[in-house]
Amino acid sequence: MIENLKEIKKDELLSEVKKYADAKARFVTAVCNDLGDKLEVTYYFNASPGMEMSALRIAVGKDEEVPSLTGIYLTAVLIENEMKETFGLKVKDIAIDFGGHMFLAQDSPVLPMLKEKKEAAGEKGGE
Amino acid sequence: MGIIHTSRIKSPWIIHFDNSSCNGCDIEALACLTPLYDVERFGIVNMGNPKHADVLVITGPVNYRTARVLKNLYAQIPDPKMVIAVGTCACSGGVFHNCYNILGGVDKVVPVDVYVPGCAARPEAIIDGVVLALQKLAQAQGVAK
Amino acid sequence: MAPRTIAPFGPQHPVLPEPIQLKITYEDEKVVDVLPAIGYGHRGIEKACELNEYPKNIYLCERICGICSCIHGITYCEVVERLWPVEIPPRAKFLRTIWSEMSRTHSHLLWLGLLADAFGFESMFMQFWRIREKVLDLLEMTAGQRVTQSISVIGGVRRDLNGEQKKKCIEVLKEVRKESEALIGVLANDYTVKARTVGKGVLSKDQAIALGCAGPTLRASGVCEDCRMQKYQAYGDLEFEPIVETAGDSYARAVVRARETLQAIDLQLEALGKLPAGDINVSVKGNPPANEAIFRSEQPRGEVFYYAKGNGTRNLERLRVRTPTYANIPSLLVMLPGCELADVPIIALSIDPCISCTER
Repeated sequence: MIENLKEIKKDELLSEVKKYADAKARFVTAVCNDLGDKLEVTYYFNASPGMEMSALRIAVGKDEEVPSLTGIYLTAVLIENEMKETFGLKVKDIAIDFGGHMFLAQDSPVLPMLKEKKEAAGEKGGE
Repeated sequence: MGIIHTSRIKSPWIIHFDNSSCNGCDIEALACLTPLYDVERFGIVNMGNPKHADVLVITGPVNYRTARVLKNLYAQIPDPKMVIAVGTCACSGGVFHNCYNILGGVDKVVPVDVYVPGCAARPEAIIDGVVLALQKLAQAQGVAK
Repeated sequence: MAPRTIAPFGPQHPVLPEPIQLKITYEDEKVVDVLPAIGYGHRGIEKACELNEYPKNIYLCERICGICSCIHGITYCEVVERLWPVEIPPRAKFLRTIWSEMSRTHSHLLWLGLLADAFGFESMFMQFWRIREKVLDLLEMTAGQRVTQSISVIGGVRRDLNGEQKKKCIEVLKEVRKESEALIGVLANDYTVKARTVGKGVLSKDQAIALGCAGPTLRASGVCEDCRMQKYQAYGDLEFEPIVETAGDSYARAVVRARETLQAIDLQLEALGKLPAGDINVSVKGNPPANEAIFRSEQPRGEVFYYAKGNGTRNLERLRVRTPTYANIPSLLVMLPGCELADVPIIALSIDPCISCTER
């Protein structure tokens, strides 16, 4: 169970995040999950000062675009680039775009975190 | 042989490179330099520049991105050179064997002379590995003469 | 306008043993722009955790980072225990706290040494590392390993402390406290140390929150946030106050870590005194249900965030680890531009970067 979780639509994301930014909350991280046909992204915020955590959750299709949080929270740069290259989440307008090669090199596996790639990753690693 | 060969055996200069290790072996390699283990008493000096080094100490498994850096570093070290793989994951990939971005042990990319197992390898084991590498170097020089 | 030059800092650099590259653009001696290029330490541990079984992941999570490995292992166990949920015995909670604080002590001493090394204070580097060896000896005596302790299991801890070990711990910790206090006094008051760190890499309170910093980097900017305030494990029973500084520069970050070193020793001594009797673990059988959980704990470098999702089988559905350096790297984008080129190593070091954590 995750406390203070709010499921929202993709279009509401930026306005909801803006509320956190106005309240001076600290962006903690985002977690992307592969649900098979959809990707589920959960953004976690910490109400500073204090240790109160809350979360926003969106679910998008695998070819849907997601707005970037980097206009509001620059620190989301790393996680958005990571989700983009490991899950293929289409985040648009990231402030610093590493072009899919932040963590992964030219010859690394492509979109390694997706579920259907599981077998391929396992075989490779066995070597 | 001349003074250069003697000095190389008696005072090897080391360069340390961290591939994608967990830091465990790195700090143990660094701990070798500090008062308790103090490798400088054997004349071993840690170097920042590959062009000055005789021994390459590598920690961690090779991933797709560090493979290029490692080849580069290896090529910059003048001959004769020794390569020591420190830690189980540098030897074989170890606990990271099934991670998708890992190629495996260091020997997939550069030739390795001495393997130091352990997770993390103890400073004593690392010093032992260096001494072993020097014996090998001395032998090689004797043969090459 | 002076011509601009781009210099790479890393991935193989004498100051920082870890592979990170900072592409630094500078004019004369002033840094104007910086771009971190990471990925040299990326292994793919999160995916590998989905392939392994639950107990095996403890060892993998500990190897996310070799410096804060103990707390990584403990946090993984905590988050998985929250999937059921499982309640662990009080003695295990105290033991986890003791080992966490012990690893914080060694990590901070390590960092203070590296800081001294970064501005060429070689003898202080050696002194800090000499003290640190005593803490490592304690870890070896109590947990069996110097670096990766693997002390935590799902449902408790693997080893107990006997009376003799407890006595030895208290004795050595008091000694370490005395010695580090003396050294920290030198570090905090030395003229050359201040000249190199005061006013370098200033991060204001608002910037620190907006950039989502964590741990000592955040607290040095005057934000009172520490995961130990959640009173997890034994922290609720111990006297704990977060350490906060307000200057936000490299010196403040060093002072926060220095004071935390002493505080960590005090916490250990207090926890050792209050250690309750009882079991050290509960038996946990079967697979966790399909559920998700998050847990945050305070590492030496700051807040670590674990997210776990189970699916009722022997394997995790998803594990996500957000490590403190992952949150602190964006702050370099603000701290470095405008500084002198010679200060780059110190400022970069002042966030206590742990690259293998960041990239997993």
